[in-house]
Amino acid sequence: MTAPVPVAGVEGAAADPLTAAIGKLTHELSVLPLQGEKLAAGDSFNLAAFTLTNYTFWLILAVLLVAVFFILGARRASLVPKGIGNLAEAGVEFVRNSICIDVMGPEGAKYFPFIGTIFFFVLFNNLLGNVPPALPGTGTVGTTFTWGIIVFLVYNAIGIKKNGALGYLKSFIPSGTPGWLKPFMFLLEIISHTLRPVTLGVRLFANMYAGHIMLGVFAIFCALTLEHFTAVGLIVLPLSFVMQVVLRAFELFVAVLQAYIFSILTAVYINGALHASEH
Amino acid sequence: MEKIIPLGVELYVNLVAFAVLFVLLWKFAFPPITKMLDQRADTIRESLEKAEQTRVDAERLLDEYKVHMAEARQEAAKVIEQGRKVAETMKDDIVAKANEEAAAVLVRAREEIQAEKRAAMAELQASVADLSVAVAGKLIGSSLSDAEHRKLVEGYVAEVGSLNGN
Repeated sequence: MTAPVPVAGVEGAAADPLTAAIGKLTHELSVLPLQGEKLAAGDSFNLAAFTLTNYTFWLILAVLLVAVFFILGARRASLVPKGIGNLAEAGVEFVRNSICIDVMGPEGAKYFPFIGTIFFFVLFNNLLGNVPPALPGTGTVGTTFTWGIIVFLVYNAIGIKKNGALGYLKSFIPSGTPGWLKPFMFLLEIISHTLRPVTLGVRLFANMYAGHIMLGVFAIFCALTLEHFTAVGLIVLPLSFVMQVVLRAFELFVAVLQAYIFSILTAVYINGALHASEH
Repeated sequence: MEKIIPLGVELYVNLVAFAVLFVLLWKFAFPPITKMLDQRADTIRESLEKAEQTRVDAERLLDEYKVHMAEARQEAAKVIEQGRKVAETMKDDIVAKANEEAAAVLVRAREEIQAEKRAAMAELQASVADLSVAVAGKLIGSSLSDAEHRKLVEGYVAEVGSLNGN
């Protein structure tokens, strides 16, 4: 979305300062090219028109941070852990044991590289987004849906590899379903599977995007009450400031939580695909 | 709708980011870390097992030592008891032998005393006879020969002796 400035629905420069500021905020949080006012109209899949956006710029930085963090961590790996090696190990151990193995049992360790990649990608993007002026690479549907689709493709591929294409499709219909219900059950399962990447994408995107809108709104309250000081400002300013602090802390929590949810759902989907024929 | 379909510019970056990050982590970064984690788990497990084994060994050794100690103590008590018995019998023997010897000494002493007494008596008898002969000779004038006198007196002394003798 490329929101015009000021925000849609408010014509021209007649907007009041609050509406204008919020319009500016949503505009800044929309996907924008690094250079220029808005993304070129037309086919965004056209490689010739490729440009980094305000989100993918920070996303690439987050990916580099993950890479550097783990390469350093791997180099420092020693029997008696310390420093960054210790931190990297703690992360690896958490994802491997508390996500992969807890959900899938011992065979879950096999899928750790995939789920670990997702977890640390999402985590680092979410966390980096909390450091102004960075935006979370996960705060745009382009990222979250792409990763949702990657998860969708991977877990279905695993299910097909494990059960065979036919066996996997058959597993969509629970055994014991009456004949007339089978097409409906099958359709229902197809819909439920198709919705998985969508829900993965929307959940992560909405959490990160909404968090930044909230932070922005309270920052605007602070700025505007300072700028146009009135009696109301005496109440709004301290409250907004406190909310700003509280939300920052909450956003850190959400950053970790969403990374955990995205990866544990991936583990659950892979586990379901592995044991599809048992249902 | 525009919001739901990923923009191409973002899709490309994310696909590349996923591919690069996955290969990097999967092939290079995660293996040393997971290997180290497994190795540490093994090391800790082995250490614990070793410690447990050592504890069991130590306990077994302690038990063995306790048994040995008890045996040694019994052995020592037995040796002491035997020693006491030996000493006891030796003491009894020595005392008995001493008593025996003392008794023998006493008997011999008595015999010697008896012999001495008899010799003294015999000597006395001889002296008395000589003296008597001499006295009688002086009284009656040497009418009787020495030999006859002697015979007479000796007979008399023997009579007296047998009356007073033991």
